[in-house]
Amino acid sequence: MSLLKPAFALIDAVIAGPPATFRGVMGVFAYVDDVAGAVRALRQLGHKDLRVYSPVPYHDIERALEQGPSIVRWVTLVGGVCGITGGFALCIYSVTSWPMVTGGKELVSLPPFMTIGYESMILLGGISNLLGMLALARLPELKPSAPYDPRFTEDKIGVWVPCVGEAAQKVQEMLRGHGAEEVALHA
Amino acid sequence: MSEITYEPDADAEDVGVTEHVPATVTQKSLNADILRMLEPPGKIWWGVFLLDLCILAAGGLALRNQIVLGLGVAGYTRPVMWAAYITNFVFWVGIAHCGTLVSAILFLFRSHFRRAVYRVAEAMTVFGVLTAGLFPLLHTGRPWFGYWLIPYPTQRGLWPNFRSPLEWDVFAVTTYLTVSSIFFIVGIIPDAAAQRDRAKTRLHRLLGFLFSFGWRGANYQWKHFYGAYLYFAALATPLVLSVHSVVSWDFAMAQLPGWHSTIFAPYFVAGAIFSGVALVINLLIGIRKAYRLEHIVTIDHIEKLSKLVLLTSTIVGYSYLVEFFCAWYGPSKFERDLFAFRFFGHYWWASWTMFTCNVIIPLLLWSKKVRRNMPVLFVIMLFVNVGMWFERFVIIVTSLARSFDPAVWVFYKMSWTEGAITAGAFAWFFMYFLLFIRLLPAFSIAEIKETLPPPMRRKPS
Repeated sequence: MSLLKPAFALIDAVIAGPPATFRGVMGVFAYVDDVAGAVRALRQLGHKDLRVYSPVPYHDIERALEQGPSIVRWVTLVGGVCGITGGFALCIYSVTSWPMVTGGKELVSLPPFMTIGYESMILLGGISNLLGMLALARLPELKPSAPYDPRFTEDKIGVWVPCVGEAAQKVQEMLRGHGAEEVALHA
Repeated sequence: MSEITYEPDADAEDVGVTEHVPATVTQKSLNADILRMLEPPGKIWWGVFLLDLCILAAGGLALRNQIVLGLGVAGYTRPVMWAAYITNFVFWVGIAHCGTLVSAILFLFRSHFRRAVYRVAEAMTVFGVLTAGLFPLLHTGRPWFGYWLIPYPTQRGLWPNFRSPLEWDVFAVTTYLTVSSIFFIVGIIPDAAAQRDRAKTRLHRLLGFLFSFGWRGANYQWKHFYGAYLYFAALATPLVLSVHSVVSWDFAMAQLPGWHSTIFAPYFVAGAIFSGVALVINLLIGIRKAYRLEHIVTIDHIEKLSKLVLLTSTIVGYSYLVEFFCAWYGPSKFERDLFAFRFFGHYWWASWTMFTCNVIIPLLLWSKKVRRNMPVLFVIMLFVNVGMWFERFVIIVTSLARSFDPAVWVFYKMSWTEGAITAGAFAWFFMYFLLFIRLLPAFSIAEIKETLPPPMRRKPS
């Protein structure tokens, strides 16, 4: 086991990530309506770049953040269109590059090629959906972009507001006023 | 522009989902209960795992025997050249259908009960396709040439025959394996983050780190996660229906009596869901008992799944009868003779096992008492899977053994090699499954949390 110790230490170092410096205020909440209220108030103050960390997505918070629909669907559409085009193109190219008539059938026989085109559409649509989601959600995120608390995958909700100086003082007061259980200043 | 979220029209008060999870379950207790499964295993787990490895080793030895001596050690008897291996292939592809049904189709239908059971079903799908994929390769006799099935440019300009249903199968099964694996891995991301944050061992922490992709539950991550999840479901739904349809066309495109039928695609899809849901019920009954998770996977969940089994059993039963009717009423004497042979000829025992297990025994599920009785349900689901294995055996072997020309009528008998490889395939599947429940969250923590009422300081208006 002693031989594995350096490997384990390396794994731990990778998981922990590089030390990061953040400037802003993190508020930890227990209630969804408190967070929704705080988010609305902060956005009215001009803090549009705030982030909310939660164990599950809450509709009240989504509405307060005024999030639009994810554009991942367009990435999926492009992948799907490329898939169906590529599937048919592969079949048609293969039969025309080595023409061999079997059973007197047309070389370019679209009905059987439909299956290949259809499956290719789903394959590339699925892969592009995954890649689009990872890119848009900024995953894999090896280096945290804000302070993180493991309770955010349990039952607490975090609100991170990037700010400094006087604005940070104001944000701290505002988060406390909206029911934050803990407020921490990162300067 | 309307906002696309996980449940576009679901407000906290109209979701009506808490009915499936007792009020004693909290967000914190849910994390603890599900991650408890990752604690060091007991003697029972080790016992089952070692037994599984022994069976797998027996299958591996049989496979070695076949590779060294050739396909002659399989019971192939010309013209029955599709036998136990293709039976196993269709059986395992069928088993794999439950996961996508539960995760994709029930997701689109907003069936909330899926949340407590879908991870197990999805894992079963991925491991089922991994098992199914072995058999066409073993069946070739020279599995190291398996890559010939995949279209790639060669110096001779050779391409596979895209008009062949066998090539359609290659595309359908590889697409299904890829998309269902992606769906499975994407669903795990938020739960792997919970595992990473609370892991007690380095291995679990590392796995949580790898499978979470650095997930932190930020609002923009949830937005794109569920945006993508919706489209995964939308893509996987037609995929799950197409895959077993394509598998059925391996048979239906041929002219052979008993195979050449337009009913095959819906009949196969219903049969696949039937056997897949039956196996997931077996697995869930075992897991909830072993890990004391009766409050998370409740009897209500199991009952709803058993209703799906009942529904698909009636579709399968109807298909059997329609096949018989068409053979009797239709003009082909070969078809008529084949169906008489199936039920009253040499393989009568296989056909009646199939009919009894798939049509008669599931009739017990009309009783609510039976649907809520776990030991009885467990036994019924075992019968269903025995019946579904025999269904594929009957379709494949009887048609090949009794085709048009009496000069080629033969009787196929499964060899010991085929039997050992069949048992080994079950062990192969369960090996993955046993490891999975020990290494990653076997239930969706995040999605079950969504069934709990959201924590509110004020009552929702």
